[in-house]
Amino acid sequence: MSQSLRPYLDCVRSSLTAAISLQNFPSQVVERHNRPEVEANSTPEVILNPLHISRNEHEKVLIEPSINSVRVSIKIKQADEIEHLLVHKFTRFLTGRAEAFMILRRKPVKGYDISFLITNFHTEQMLKHKLVDFIIQFMEEVDKEISEMKLFLNARARFVAEAFLTNV
Amino acid sequence: MLLLQYHNLLIQSILQERFAPDAQPTLIDQVISDFDNVTYHVSTPESKTKILISLSVKCYKDLEKYGVTALLQREYEEYAVAPEAGYDFSIQVDLENLPATAEEKETLILKIALLKRNAMAAPFEKAFAEFDRLAAEAAKNSLDLSVPEDSGSEVMAIHYREEESIYIRASHDRVTVIFSVLFREDTDRVFGKVFLQEFVDARRRSIQNAPQVLYSNKEPPLEIRNVPGVSVKDDISYVTFVLFPRHIARDRRENCISHIQIFRDYFHYHIKCSKAYMHSRMRFRVAEFLKVLNRAKPEVEEEKKTSSGRRYGTR
Amino acid sequence: MSHLSTPAVVMGIGTGLTKLGFAGNDSPSFIFPTAISTRNTGAASGRPPTAAKPSFLSGPGANSSSSGGNLASKRGTEDLDFFIGQEAIDVSNTPGYGLNYPIRHGQIENWDLMERFWENSIFKYLRCEPEDHYFLLTEPPLNPPENREMTAEIMFETFNCAGLYIAVQAVLALAASWTSSKVQDRSLTGTVIDSGDGVTHVIPVAEGYVIASAIKNIPIAGRDITYFVQSLLRDRNEKDSSLRTAEKIKEEYCYVCPDIVKEFNRFDREPERFQKYLVDQGLGRKVTVDVGYERFLAPEIFFNPEIASSDFLTPLPEVVDTVIQNSPIDVRRGLYKNIVLSGGSTMFRDFGRRLQRDIKHIVDARIHKSEERSGARSGGLDVQVISHKKQRNAVWFGGSLLAQTAEFKGYCHTKKDYDEMGPGIVRQFSLFNVP
Repeated sequence: MSQSLRPYLDCVRSSLTAAISLQNFPSQVVERHNRPEVEANSTPEVILNPLHISRNEHEKVLIEPSINSVRVSIKIKQADEIEHLLVHKFTRFLTGRAEAFMILRRKPVKGYDISFLITNFHTEQMLKHKLVDFIIQFMEEVDKEISEMKLFLNARARFVAEAFLTNV
Repeated sequence: MLLLQYHNLLIQSILQERFAPDAQPTLIDQVISDFDNVTYHVSTPESKTKILISLSVKCYKDLEKYGVTALLQREYEEYAVAPEAGYDFSIQVDLENLPATAEEKETLILKIALLKRNAMAAPFEKAFAEFDRLAAEAAKNSLDLSVPEDSGSEVMAIHYREEESIYIRASHDRVTVIFSVLFREDTDRVFGKVFLQEFVDARRRSIQNAPQVLYSNKEPPLEIRNVPGVSVKDDISYVTFVLFPRHIARDRRENCISHIQIFRDYFHYHIKCSKAYMHSRMRFRVAEFLKVLNRAKPEVEEEKKTSSGRRYGTR
Repeated sequence: MSHLSTPAVVMGIGTGLTKLGFAGNDSPSFIFPTAISTRNTGAASGRPPTAAKPSFLSGPGANSSSSGGNLASKRGTEDLDFFIGQEAIDVSNTPGYGLNYPIRHGQIENWDLMERFWENSIFKYLRCEPEDHYFLLTEPPLNPPENREMTAEIMFETFNCAGLYIAVQAVLALAASWTSSKVQDRSLTGTVIDSGDGVTHVIPVAEGYVIASAIKNIPIAGRDITYFVQSLLRDRNEKDSSLRTAEKIKEEYCYVCPDIVKEFNRFDREPERFQKYLVDQGLGRKVTVDVGYERFLAPEIFFNPEIASSDFLTPLPEVVDTVIQNSPIDVRRGLYKNIVLSGGSTMFRDFGRRLQRDIKHIVDARIHKSEERSGARSGGLDVQVISHKKQRNAVWFGGSLLAQTAEFKGYCHTKKDYDEMGPGIVRQFSLFNVP
């Protein structure tokens, strides 16, 4: 792991742990509704200050806490066109399966590649520190996966080209 | 499967079945498709023993200019018949009048299964003949072969797909084959670029004998800049194969034609394979992530079930 | 765009057999087992094993840290090294390859393998550029919509196919029956009896929609009949009682009789009904096998299952009747009137006629009873079983029939639709109007 990744992830971990302090909170605007305040955005007093954590201009995390929900958005490193495309493909593949992921938001927040929405109902069912673990592990592995896919693509292209040309 | 086959597997298997010594003649009426807008029609219009195989190629008009008719006549002379309506070329095989030995039958089957390849070979053969002529001329005039000289030979254009074409041009020391490549989709475009770059680099890196490959985006290569219909478009790229004399030596020509022809399909096939592989990876990764996420759920005590798998009613 | 004039590709991928071909043809171009043989990574191959690949296969035990690919295997092309169909079975005996069946009970189980299966079907067998063709795929009844979405994801994202239609097999079987002269109104209402090798389904369809709650499966199908023939051959100590011989006898000699007792008597009276079957055992050895009562006894297990099995005892006509009785009352008349056969195991001579008679019996008995009780006269009920020439590949043929119509492309979802709306669009397909 590179020098700057560790502190970056550590920072995300502790900020997230702090942010996921959620409680049940029925809507103040609509009767008998209970919705993630960070999404509804209708009661300003229960929304806390959003927090940016940036490793560099390409990689950053946005944490938007509120009384009953936290929205975590991640921007994944994309150095070139290929990585951009692979990230796009991968995040779309994930969001297509959002049903299974419970905390995955079906649409990323603008400017980010993927967003998670954790509500008090999730924290009631799941262990908080494990949720944080999941997000950290996700961040670690996504980068690895993207670069491996890119490597694969290059290797495959080379192999295919050589196989074709040796036969001419 | 790494390389695509040159022949049409379906035609091959139909004929193999029919040619078998104990096969019962039956009615056949099948429309078969092949790469690059090629359609075959295999039928038995007259009697069950006479199989008519018709070929329709989208760019037959272009091919006609370059002597496809003569080529197909040469290849299939005794079997060729007047083309079926709506098709460009037809051959008829009489099951009662087949070659005697099994090998001869097999050769005939393969030859028929290669109909598309042979039709598309016409401009290549013409280019190679032209090359022979120019090379001989150049040798006679004892020109310095190393100086490339504009021979002014015609560029043959084959519009084999709706938006993509092959251009072939012969000169005294090389034959140039140019494919215009267009991607309808973003992913394909990016993947395609990576692949094409590797085609270009392959020669420099490891296979010195390979034909030179050039790749240009938007700008059509010099050779075809004056050909009508070639224009600078944003989404079209051009791939140029430069075939040197050693690639078109007499004994390698046939193979070379087959191989270059299938370039586009091969290339697209592999883009698709790569995407399939990526999907496999992503599926695996999703499963992994889910496992991690599910660890966050505390263990729930297993519900008791009856032996048939039914749950007890909730109390 | 001219590429739209290319014939649509019809793919019927079942548990046992895959049927591939182009629309407009009257039979599939390729019929082969839905099997795929993949390279076993590791020991047998000379290359270093791909780290990514085995971890897909090793399942839950896989450790996530070791799961990614590593650099050593970056040239790994194991994902190209596989065979499908008959070839898969042929190579599965050679070391280094493992045989897999990606479909279980009609539904796709392993998407990785399925994707590669399609890859090879399209590029090696059908030889078509998927961008130029529309595709019609079939799905079993009760296929979850998620599976449809996954299929669409593969077809559109990997293969960029021009357009896609996913049709329910039973509905296609109904469409195939329109070729029969008995069918006049070409409706999409009817009961489909689909009997393949492994299992027989009875599926009621009302106006193109499957009545899922009433579907019934019968564990008697082609394979059981073959086993039954084989057991009779063994009982008689025939010289050859291999499964292949039994299958041949089943296909060539078996038929359905109106009444077993009478048929036994007829056999005793007319000895020419006993036949001889010449088996070529290879290497020039030929033996003759007598073919006797199994000619009519074997298919009889549909109607009297007790002669072959002890755990399933409901005759087919009764099952069909129950299925229709379980369907909504307003469609029952249509379901009785249009009972359609599909699949190889419904090909026995007079199968349809016997089925129709037996169902009619049950229905008439019920009507009679109710007339007795209520005293009112009933108008009667029409029972009709439809046999036709395309029964064997009815599902595929129905697909071919529909996909060649001019309207077909209008019903498909195109690549453009998919890009705009996402995989969810394939949950809904408009039904074919009757052409």
